[in-house]
Amino acid sequence: MTRYLLRQITLLFFTLLALSLFTFCLSYWFAGSAVTNSSGIFPDDPSYAAIATARGFDGGYFGQYIAYLRHLFAGDWGRSLLDGAPVFEQLIVRFGASLEIMLLALLVAWFPGVAFGVLAALKPGRSVDNTILGMSISGYSIPVFWFAQLAILLVAVQWGLTPIAGQINPLFDIPAVTGSILIDIALAQPANPQAAYYSAFMHMILPVTVLAIMPMMLLIRLTRNSMLDVLNKNYIVSSYAKGMSTRRVLWSHALPNAMQQVIRQLSNLISLLIANTFILEVIFSWPGIGNWLVRSIYERDYPVIQGGLLIIGSLILVTHVLLNLFHAWRYPQVRKDLYAAP
Amino acid sequence: MATTKRSLIKTCTAALCLPVLIACAPQSEQEATLGVLYCAEGNPESFNPQLVTSGTTLDMTAAQLYDRLIEYSHKENNYQPALAERWSIDEHGLRYTFYLRDDVQFHTTDWFQPSRPLNANDVVFSFRRWFDPSHPFHSVSGRGYPFFTASGITELIDSMKALDEHTVEIRLKQQDSSFLANLASDFAIILSAEYGHQLLAAGTPELIDQRPIGTGPFQFSDFRKDVLVRYHRHPNYWRELAASEQIVFRITQSDHKRMLMLLTQDCDISPYPPARDVEWLRQKESIELQATVSPNTAFWAFNTERPPFDDPRVRQALAHAIDRDALLRAVYFEHAVRADSILPNTSWAHHPIPDAYRFDPERARELLAEADLADGFSMDIWAIPVQRGYNPNARLMAERMQSDLARIGVRANIVSYEWSTFRRRLAEGLHDSVLIGWSADHADPDNFFRPLLSCRAKESGNNRAQWCDPLFDDLLNAAIRTELMPTRQNFYQQAQEYLAIEVPLLPIAHSVRFQASQADIEGLQLAPFGGIELRRVKHRDTQELRP
Repeated sequence: MTRYLLRQITLLFFTLLALSLFTFCLSYWFAGSAVTNSSGIFPDDPSYAAIATARGFDGGYFGQYIAYLRHLFAGDWGRSLLDGAPVFEQLIVRFGASLEIMLLALLVAWFPGVAFGVLAALKPGRSVDNTILGMSISGYSIPVFWFAQLAILLVAVQWGLTPIAGQINPLFDIPAVTGSILIDIALAQPANPQAAYYSAFMHMILPVTVLAIMPMMLLIRLTRNSMLDVLNKNYIVSSYAKGMSTRRVLWSHALPNAMQQVIRQLSNLISLLIANTFILEVIFSWPGIGNWLVRSIYERDYPVIQGGLLIIGSLILVTHVLLNLFHAWRYPQVRKDLYAAP
Repeated sequence: MATTKRSLIKTCTAALCLPVLIACAPQSEQEATLGVLYCAEGNPESFNPQLVTSGTTLDMTAAQLYDRLIEYSHKENNYQPALAERWSIDEHGLRYTFYLRDDVQFHTTDWFQPSRPLNANDVVFSFRRWFDPSHPFHSVSGRGYPFFTASGITELIDSMKALDEHTVEIRLKQQDSSFLANLASDFAIILSAEYGHQLLAAGTPELIDQRPIGTGPFQFSDFRKDVLVRYHRHPNYWRELAASEQIVFRITQSDHKRMLMLLTQDCDISPYPPARDVEWLRQKESIELQATVSPNTAFWAFNTERPPFDDPRVRQALAHAIDRDALLRAVYFEHAVRADSILPNTSWAHHPIPDAYRFDPERARELLAEADLADGFSMDIWAIPVQRGYNPNARLMAERMQSDLARIGVRANIVSYEWSTFRRRLAEGLHDSVLIGWSADHADPDNFFRPLLSCRAKESGNNRAQWCDPLFDDLLNAAIRTELMPTRQNFYQQAQEYLAIEVPLLPIAHSVRFQASQADIEGLQLAPFGGIELRRVKHRDTQELRP
């Protein structure tokens, strides 16, 4: 495991380095001054010369890259070209907001996704299976923005059940510290936390549910296929032969082994989730990173584009490696495969 | 094994039920923060109206955070005392004396605690900021003072001084019949000199426009770009206290989204509902729709510094190419009238010249041929990304115009940026042509000429046509040097005729401004001039806090 761990971490280190090299190069590839593109300070600003020196622009490219990394680690990711706000501070708050609905959606998708997948696998070819498969295929093929519009019109406008914009009723004066509204409420300690949590919960229902639909459908299909494979294995037959109950066979033998395949696919699912989060953030005015990044690309706000790319790229890489590690730790046979050992 | 399984199931059940439990939680606490949600159509560019001309920023700042010396009452059609309890003008119209109230308090916040009430120093400080280049704050924020520069009053003021603690005297170089109107506009607000000096000492003068201190009914609390602006009630306000404890502006660019948010009660007030939905909204019982005939003009301005728009024949051709009646139907849904002059039809100096701007593609082609452009050319139309009272959907308008222009061989591309970027690039003159407009800040017709089309306006970046014609400026100046109505009317008539020949811009429509609110909101009034006033706005019944 240690060897595997080291290998994965080295891999992560080098890919992150490559990513940072890429964002560093963007400063040159974008139009305009590289100093402005990386720091957000315009050439007519009195501090421009000092910033250029601090970022190593009087030296070679290597020195500039080192200075760039040093600024990254110091939390100085430049300023927005549009409003001069520090990118890193904004990024943290918005990243928290995005991460919050992503994680919640994953959580919401997980249990029904796995449960329906198992249910379908137990009766392959029967009506239960067909219904679940049909549902998952149609759910998977309907675009998320359409679902979102439908949900808004039906649940919010027609039935008046939920709000449709933002994280909380803004009359609750909750300062954005982490960006995650649930954590921020806990930090702010308002006079009536119950009402604040309730408001945040109501605001979350629509975005989280809509966001959860696609991963859920994918999970159903993954679980079903992998479960079908496992159920045909000899050890399942032998467990039944030993007189174990169906429940016991499923919980202790079939499901844990089926999950191995599912977890392997999980990182694809997370990339999909991130893309959908961006779309939903725009629709539900969720103050997350996607909303901001889309705007910055449109406005050619280079420091923001760089920061956004860096953080989203890192998020995908880190989750990928973490999933690999979890996979290897939980399923020793994977490690054996990797080491090519008997 | 069985016990672990059972506990697992229990944990899962608990986890699943938790949200439901939270959802069922009783909402006993009523002392929760109460207030009003206003869905604004864009980010404020600054928190100081001196620096801007955009209605979005004025709505969110001027009447909320600040007060002016005098105010204009459109009901009584005269000037009312505000921070100045009375004023006098000498017989030549050159010396204005303002007598200030002595009970006006500035905002007390975490970042500033005033030690004294408002006095004459604050007024002098605030005014000098925009007319005196040696003032320490003159170049702070680096945006210039577009309204004051464009309307020429920076050059008009000869001197200004505090006669005593509560008396201020302003001397003008020449008589100007629009001076009081300009002082009563949303731009002539009063800042705190004490706060200014404090910031200067701390080396952070730019905060004066970012963390504002004023005397207005609300004080600044929080701004998150693209999300919200939060104000709390100013507890020591010199007039009747604001009716609501809190006002939150939710920033929502899309008009459709704002309308939905109004229906789901995410907003209490929403300006500029989509024109196509106005009739439908009117029939909704839960929504109250207000309309005001605010004097405004939507226009299409050509950048007269860029070829081929420097040729008046090309501009005339483009004006004849557009079917404006079709635009009124498609974009305004008939909630507007066709504009045949830059000056709105409600003004006493209005002088329409329909023939100059009539829809006539034949004539347009002839004019283009005269200008050696018979094969047409391609150009950009910049369409404002937000809804304004004068134009509910500039994008749609631009698309319609695209097809009109194609008929005379002109290929048009539509360009748009986020509102504050848009305005910045526009002021830099990077456009070919722009669909924008102007809403009256006060009742004087001068408000539609000098701030928009004078040479000064060009310097300040507010002249969308980048058009500077000394002859035209002379007409405008002659018109403000006199108080005699018939003479002024005559000059303005000539000015409008001159515009019909030069066509630096094509007037399109004078429209009705709409605003929708929840039925239980009271105290909301749309004034024909200037920004919105929210100090009397509240929910009729002390509302339950909605989720």
